[in-house]
Amino acid sequence: MPDSPFQIGGIAVKKREKGRWVGYAFVLPAVIYMLVFIGYPIIYNWVISFQDATAYTLKDAGRAFIGLTNYQTIFADPTFARSIQHTFIYTIGCLIIQFTLGFALAMFFSKKFTLAKPIRGLVVISWMLPVTVTALVFKFMFSQDSGIINTILMNLHIIDEPVGWLLSGGTAMAVLIIANSWVGIPFNMLLLTTGLNNIPLDVYEAASIDGATKKQQFFMITVPLLKPTIMSTLVLGFVLTFKVFDLVYVMTGGGPVDSTEVLSTYSYKLSFQQFQFGQGAAAACVLFVCLFIVALIYLRTISKSEVD
Amino acid sequence: MKKRLVAIMMVMSMTALTLAGCGGGDSASTDDTAAAEEGSEESSADADGKITISFWHYMSTDKEGKFVQEAVDEFNESQDEIYVEAQYLPREELMKQYTIGVVSGELPDVGMVDNPDHNSYAAMGVFEDITDLYEESGDTNFLEGSISSCYYDDKLYGLPWGNNCLGLFYNKQMLDEAGVEVPTTWSELEAACEALTKDGTYGLAISAINNEEGTFQFMPWLLSAGGSVDDLSSAESKEAMSYIKGLVDSGYVSSECVNWTQADAEKQFASGKAAMMINGPWQFSGLAEDAPDLEYAVAQVPKADNGDYASCLGGENIGICTGANVEASWEFISWIMSKDKSAEICKSIGRLSPRSDVDTESLYADEPNWKVFAEIMPNAQSRGPSPSWPELSAAIYNAQQQVITGAKDVDAAMDEAATTIAGLENK
Amino acid sequence: MSREKKEKKVYQTPAEKRKNIAFNILAVVLCCLFLFPIYWIVVNSFKIDSEIFAKIPTLWPHEFTLKAYGEQFGALGTTLKNSIIIAVGSLVISMVLSVPAAYGLAKYKIKGGKFFILIFLTTQMLPASLVLTPLFLIFSNLELLNTYLAPILSTATISIPFVVLMLRPSFLSISTELVEAAKIDGCGTLRAFFKIVVPISRPAVITAGCFGFVYAWNDLAYSMTFNTAENMRPMTSAIYTFMNQYGTKWNSIMAYGVLLILPCVIIFVTMQKYIVEGLTSGSVKG
Repeated sequence: MPDSPFQIGGIAVKKREKGRWVGYAFVLPAVIYMLVFIGYPIIYNWVISFQDATAYTLKDAGRAFIGLTNYQTIFADPTFARSIQHTFIYTIGCLIIQFTLGFALAMFFSKKFTLAKPIRGLVVISWMLPVTVTALVFKFMFSQDSGIINTILMNLHIIDEPVGWLLSGGTAMAVLIIANSWVGIPFNMLLLTTGLNNIPLDVYEAASIDGATKKQQFFMITVPLLKPTIMSTLVLGFVLTFKVFDLVYVMTGGGPVDSTEVLSTYSYKLSFQQFQFGQGAAAACVLFVCLFIVALIYLRTISKSEVD
Repeated sequence: MKKRLVAIMMVMSMTALTLAGCGGGDSASTDDTAAAEEGSEESSADADGKITISFWHYMSTDKEGKFVQEAVDEFNESQDEIYVEAQYLPREELMKQYTIGVVSGELPDVGMVDNPDHNSYAAMGVFEDITDLYEESGDTNFLEGSISSCYYDDKLYGLPWGNNCLGLFYNKQMLDEAGVEVPTTWSELEAACEALTKDGTYGLAISAINNEEGTFQFMPWLLSAGGSVDDLSSAESKEAMSYIKGLVDSGYVSSECVNWTQADAEKQFASGKAAMMINGPWQFSGLAEDAPDLEYAVAQVPKADNGDYASCLGGENIGICTGANVEASWEFISWIMSKDKSAEICKSIGRLSPRSDVDTESLYADEPNWKVFAEIMPNAQSRGPSPSWPELSAAIYNAQQQVITGAKDVDAAMDEAATTIAGLENK
Repeated sequence: MSREKKEKKVYQTPAEKRKNIAFNILAVVLCCLFLFPIYWIVVNSFKIDSEIFAKIPTLWPHEFTLKAYGEQFGALGTTLKNSIIIAVGSLVISMVLSVPAAYGLAKYKIKGGKFFILIFLTTQMLPASLVLTPLFLIFSNLELLNTYLAPILSTATISIPFVVLMLRPSFLSISTELVEAAKIDGCGTLRAFFKIVVPISRPAVITAGCFGFVYAWNDLAYSMTFNTAENMRPMTSAIYTFMNQYGTKWNSIMAYGVLLILPCVIIFVTMQKYIVEGLTSGSVKG
């Protein structure tokens, strides 16, 4: 029964009443899908982490509950502690590089010049590429014997002989951070550009009339006004970096030895190389707790600035 | 109103579709599943009434794999009862498939396994006990050392497929130019490396990767020094590790060797980036293809100055997997392991036949490089057998990686590996 | 927007002109540096073995060859087919579910709407490695391992929240009157949705589709874990396996890499404007 054309004012009210069903019908399938394929597995993951789940018990309906044994096992493993440490080093390293350079680029591309917009758009391509390929090309560029980076650095006389970048822990981690920043910088830049564009120009004009220097303008106007964007960029960056898997798995496989092992690769190896599903799930739960805390902070940040 | 109802129903049916998706076998998903199953390797009788047997191996497609395929094709044409479908999987991947396949039931009919791992997978239940079939067949002419790796708990779980061992490959031209004799001892090897290592060329290429290949390559050094897998913390074992570390530290061996497979070492040698390499006869075909003009020869892996020559026995076995069509599979493996076939295949894929009735000497009379391997073989020691060999091996290659990358010193790494291995054996 | 005012000011004085040129040069240099890895992938895929193994890498192939594309890729057809099936399947699921969801969240005041947005925001942040183990066990019990369904169902979870969050703002901007007017003309809700809403936001919906495709196409973790059989693998896990075997055959690895990035680059080049916008709204805001 069509609504009468003369009841425009009443439509919104009616929509809210009658529309509720339709609204749910639109929204719920996707919500249910996510709950089934992400929500349920996360809960199930907790269950597995308390079970004796290995390759041998894979098909057993009732796997034995073994309490905290899986957690005890991984907490006793020195590699686990190291992988937590590596995850944080990696995340913080990436955040520093991609945020500062991303910010610098955002400032640079917000200047008025002909190619600003096209080039700003172009660099975003690194974000679209499969991480697998990114990892491979960086591995190639940083390889000791045929890598371009060694050749360049040797020609510039910065190093005397080829460095085995991926062959020792510290440099391997540095290369991972560089490779991830290649993907992260344009992303940070984009988010910050959006924020910068929302700062009205007249604020700067007023400030420069008052005699504020560029530096003062940056710290007194740009940074404070950008604070919500900065916060959400950092937190989002943290979450996206902390969950790293593909990049580390393909580039170093956690090696050499275990010097670049991160939580997600550690969990993966337990589950799918040693088939200790219970222990792999336990490691994943630790990862979950870390992410959950940061996600909560993130949600609080955006709910302040966000949503109707 | 009616239309709205239709709308709701349509959206609801999307939900249903979603839920059907997680039911897996439900109507919405059968197409996908069916399509996928067509491709998978279930043993079944096809339209002609032939029995299809799947055969998983790790003879890589571009090298040995094509000879395996040729042999399989020949078998398929030789009779019209059985059709064998050969599939290549990288070694690590295949090992994973066995572990997971035991429980998921997704095993091939016939599968290849690295001989030191055979015990472990037999213990896990990957392979069928074929003791009776073997004994009844009347053809039991296999070398004792080779077939022993197929036994677990006095039962036979497969047949040896091919043997190999390690030797020293050297680039004749480079050695001549540097005026270096073929090294026979560790000191000579070091001296040779020093003379051969130049801008862009390493003296020696080895594989010290973090898988079985790394352990395999470490064994000749370990054994020649008088060390052993059971006693990695002994002075002799540590001496072997120190020696390798020394080669890398002096720049004679690329430190990238921790990432190199034996195939990568071959590429380095073939492209002239390494003057010598430790590798096995299965690289002959690859070398002929990658560097047809390269003049090279093979010698024993240099021995410790006060030790003996040593090499490690490598090779593969093939077994019939649990739940397979045993009769048809046996038909196939007993054909492919028969005297003439075994000799032929092994030669083309760079293995020595594990059969005692194959006359190696006359087979390789005209091939000096082959003869060297044939001479090394009788003294090559096998790894294991031990049902926990994969874990044992992991302790060894991890120690090697830690030492070469400088993460731990030789003492710490070897002591830790020894502790790990002691722990495994007490289990 | 405030930028508009700015554009007009460009090229006013000679000093500003010089500044414009200087900035443009700097921007081009930065861009070239930044895009170097992509250049490196492409250029190395055309080199012959001996050049790859040479001591000094060359910036341009001495001998241009397609050999690396031909070699080792016996199974390229299969992996390419698998990649396409997985990406398209995932794209279909994610569009069928998330376009209506984004619309519902934008245009209907439903109870728990905010909560649903939160669900999408949170699930978007959770990594694959969290659910790999449980999903593996679930799929294993449902006998879905080594079928297309396993990676399709799981990769759709990456794009659904992203697409919902990205499309919601653009649906918000559609005038309610337009939709209501269509309904008055006798269109049902669903028809109005397909005849009015989707066409109006076509660029956004197409962009969303591109993301849906690319996310699944790029996936390694799910496909590698669930589909271990060689004939069921997509290109991402095939290239990884290949690297494990021939870690130094960089020309072949890069050739495979070129084929993998090709669809992403094509999509990006044709849709750049929308993608850059979509990326921002899909990642940050609900």
